[in-house]
Amino acid sequence: MSIPSDDVTPQRAATRLESKTLFVELGAQPVGSPEHQATREALVHLHLPLVEFLARRFRDRGEPLDDLVQVGTIGLIKAVDRFDVDRGVEFSTYATPTIVGEIKRHFRDKGWAVRVPRRLQELRHELATTTELLSHSLGRAPTIAEIASALDLSEEQVLEGLESANAYSTVSLDAGSDGEDGGGGSALASIGADDEALEGVEYRESLRPLLALLPARDRQILMLRFFRNMTQSQIAVEVGISQMHVSRLLTKTLEQLREQLTEEY
Amino acid sequence: MIRPARPAATTGGVINDVVELRLPADSAYLAVLRTATAGLAARLDFTLDEIEDLRIAVDEACALLLADSEPGEPMVCAFTLGHDSIEVVISARTGSGRPPGAGSFAWTVLSALAGEVKATAGADHLVTITLLKQRGGT
Repeated sequence: MSIPSDDVTPQRAATRLESKTLFVELGAQPVGSPEHQATREALVHLHLPLVEFLARRFRDRGEPLDDLVQVGTIGLIKAVDRFDVDRGVEFSTYATPTIVGEIKRHFRDKGWAVRVPRRLQELRHELATTTELLSHSLGRAPTIAEIASALDLSEEQVLEGLESANAYSTVSLDAGSDGEDGGGGSALASIGADDEALEGVEYRESLRPLLALLPARDRQILMLRFFRNMTQSQIAVEVGISQMHVSRLLTKTLEQLREQLTEEY
Repeated sequence: MIRPARPAATTGGVINDVVELRLPADSAYLAVLRTATAGLAARLDFTLDEIEDLRIAVDEACALLLADSEPGEPMVCAFTLGHDSIEVVISARTGSGRPPGAGSFAWTVLSALAGEVKATAGADHLVTITLLKQRGGT
């Protein structure tokens, strides 16, 4: 597994140093001035390889790579404009969710969501409602057979519905939780409470800043599932969303952490 | 749902049906594996929580192997269906030949989701991750 340790290649160290210097300069220059503009462009140019790297991860989904790099670059520019050097995280770590968010938004805007057949959309809705009702009356999560019987469907149909819910969410993320605005500075402070739970996990030094960048709810769900060992259903009640939604958010958050921890950039 | 082999579930005996999939070590095929995982766990009457946990665990284990696997190599995934448990054994030839460390975050995730996790390294850089999920356990 290629979780990065702290041994950084000379090239990467040079990029980091240059990036840091440029951000310090950027902060000192008046917004809108020609020199501010030039520094901003230099930063975007410097980090373009990150956009290309992330865009390539989506190249098999039917959109030209050039288009993905283009929308990813919009994310990069946003990240450059919002980044605060004093935050204490590497710019690449900070920018990754924003760039990925922009690429995913592109897929969403291309109407992927619209192509989910209406029948499946309705099925997903019924599944969520029924799962919640059954969880409540059974005192545990229902089985596929129980859901099928309650909805008068075959087990295959139920599985198909669950599948579509998961497939759909890999592209179309729920508004407000795609990490785009999730990097609040105060998040680093609130992570302190989770430190105890992270004791004993290797790489927690590289994990901690990534957790801090997650939207608060996603981080909470992650901690409850993996460090407090609560079930998805219990978390659903605790957080006030459906179990299916918990499952989707967990999948998405793990995927995001994986992308960042194995980042070769 | 096809359920030819369930007499053991009623007699309390042990089913040991094995379902094996051989796929290219490429993330494009993960969806197939996820579907198979959910379908097989549903056969054993796992709850939705348990099915989703196992599905995410298989995803995570494969992602670990894929991150380090040689392009073009096959990934083999064997599901053994017990009476109230499912064992998933995933192997692939990797670049490093090193199994994931037991202290890593990924390991924490796998243990929380599956229950029991093992990782072994074999000859020829073959790395195997074994997940054992019990029904009714957490």
